[in-house]
Amino acid sequence: MAKSQSTPVEKAARLLDLVPFISTHQGIALSELAAEFNLTESELLSDLNTLWMCGLPGYTPLELIDLEFESGYVSIRNAEVLQRVRLLTKQELVIILLGLDILRSSLDPKRNDLSTAISRLTNKIKEIVGNVATASPIVDSAHRAIITQAIASRMDLLVKYHSTIRDTVTERVITPLELSLDHGFEVLSAYCQSAEGFRTFRLDNMRSVGLAGSSVSIPEPSEISDYQWQLLIKSRFRTSSERFRSTYKPRESTDGEQVSVNSFSQDWLLRNAMSTLASVEVQLPVSARSLIAQKCQQSLELYEKWAFPK
Amino acid sequence: MLTVSRKTERLVNLTIALLATKRYITKSEIFRTVDGYEGSDESKERMFERDKDDLRNLGIEIEVGTFDPLFEDESGYRIKPENYQFQLGEVNAQEITLLSLAAEAWRGASMGPSALSALNKLHAIGIESDTELLLDLAPAIINQDSNLAIAISAITSKTVLSFSYLNEDLQSQSRALEPYAVTSRYGHWYIFGNDLDRKASRLFRLDRVSGELKLQGKSGAFEIPSEIDVNSAFAKSSDLSTAVIFLRDGRGLNLRSRGLQSVATSAPVGWEALKMEYRDRERFIEEILWYGKDVIVLAPADLRIEILKILRAGVATYG
Repeated sequence: MAKSQSTPVEKAARLLDLVPFISTHQGIALSELAAEFNLTESELLSDLNTLWMCGLPGYTPLELIDLEFESGYVSIRNAEVLQRVRLLTKQELVIILLGLDILRSSLDPKRNDLSTAISRLTNKIKEIVGNVATASPIVDSAHRAIITQAIASRMDLLVKYHSTIRDTVTERVITPLELSLDHGFEVLSAYCQSAEGFRTFRLDNMRSVGLAGSSVSIPEPSEISDYQWQLLIKSRFRTSSERFRSTYKPRESTDGEQVSVNSFSQDWLLRNAMSTLASVEVQLPVSARSLIAQKCQQSLELYEKWAFPK
Repeated sequence: MLTVSRKTERLVNLTIALLATKRYITKSEIFRTVDGYEGSDESKERMFERDKDDLRNLGIEIEVGTFDPLFEDESGYRIKPENYQFQLGEVNAQEITLLSLAAEAWRGASMGPSALSALNKLHAIGIESDTELLLDLAPAIINQDSNLAIAISAITSKTVLSFSYLNEDLQSQSRALEPYAVTSRYGHWYIFGNDLDRKASRLFRLDRVSGELKLQGKSGAFEIPSEIDVNSAFAKSSDLSTAVIFLRDGRGLNLRSRGLQSVATSAPVGWEALKMEYRDRERFIEEILWYGKDVIVLAPADLRIEILKILRAGVATYG
């Protein structure tokens, strides 16, 4: 847990926040208080024991903070000076500002009251820290909420999904399994009832998400075979690596660089190969090379057929 | 462990003493009365200076003033309650809910510790969140990049950042930036500010920074302009050009979402003639090629010729 590395300063900050919290939650159970502050109970006891030694100059029982926690429930007296809730640091205000931006973009358009409240809070915060942070989320928070709910209650989902690989939008019934991150994008692993197979869906490509009844059983997942390609990147190293989601590091030379990339989707690799035709050469597999040749040929034929009318 | 507690205790006791006092109290009074200041005068001084810095880093401002007009040479210290307490004023249950959800969006992300301490403060206000209010929203901020926290702290403390940035050839360039704002777009985090070497505002994608962002020099080193236009920084990269394309019916969904205009040119059956704007020529070519045989560029001629050249080279390489 976080606390094991906390510095004396961090601990002091936490003590200053514990006082007002206990004051407004007199008699709170130790376990509950520890959970709120993300501490173990013994870490919390160490905090309370330190707090117990603090108070106003003089430090007689009259001036010391009076804590009672032996019963397993915590109450506090004689802490008027610290009872005020501490101000939010600028760092905290900035992250709240970003969080509010994310919330705003997912609100039900009918909830005017909420968007007004968010604007009011945002303005207050901007007055303090300036207009220093904005967020345009790519995933709708409402979609995420429905997916989480479906996973927890073993429900299927009806998803309108934009596949950028197929360049189509289709409706599918899927059994959601797990949310995770893939190269910084939120993805849902699921069994697609419509395609009868396991698929990974990017949350930002979901156009709509709804509950679709209880899950029926799904087959055991089979090993998904990946396509692995070997590339020679010749120019536009950063863009090309980003397109193929290949990690990159600083380089000294300007020579070509051989990298290996993989994906469950051959179509995705092919589209990327077409996209980076001028800067990347696919070396292996040979079968991929002939597919790319075909695609180039097909496009060329269209170009030769149609020119802009003079 | 004991010394850890001593330092913590001293900071808390100092805060209490400075917060409780209605007048400025002098350093010697502090050393005499506040528990924990020990050792030689010099070491007490050092302790006190460090404690003040530590409290300032927690957002607690210690005010310095003259406590007695008759003894002007001795300054005193206090913490004004209004500078210590929660600064968003009265908040209702709805607002607490929104603020808490906004902080909770960072759960598990790089700003987790700040989010937790913000939540502790919000909950300490003692107004119960209206949990029914936003059950249908699960905001989440996806960021595992520790540089975002450094960027935010550089902005709030107005400290110059230095870092290595990878260009298109993946060569690292040293940059020094007065950071003004962070923003997330298209699933990436960007930092915007005044590039000190290039003497112009610049935008950097955080995941293209190589290694750590480093705080450089003192805090409060610059002012953040009151009007920051991050949007125009995204647009400024190059001028708008227009292309005319044939797009196969029902294809190119992402292209279509960018607002295509129809053109009064007759298109073959199953195709549409459309006009679209683009900025970065190379990116645009890559985008067009992604769609393979579903998009054909008709104009401008030089763009068309370049694409033809790339396709022919493709046939030569792979055929």
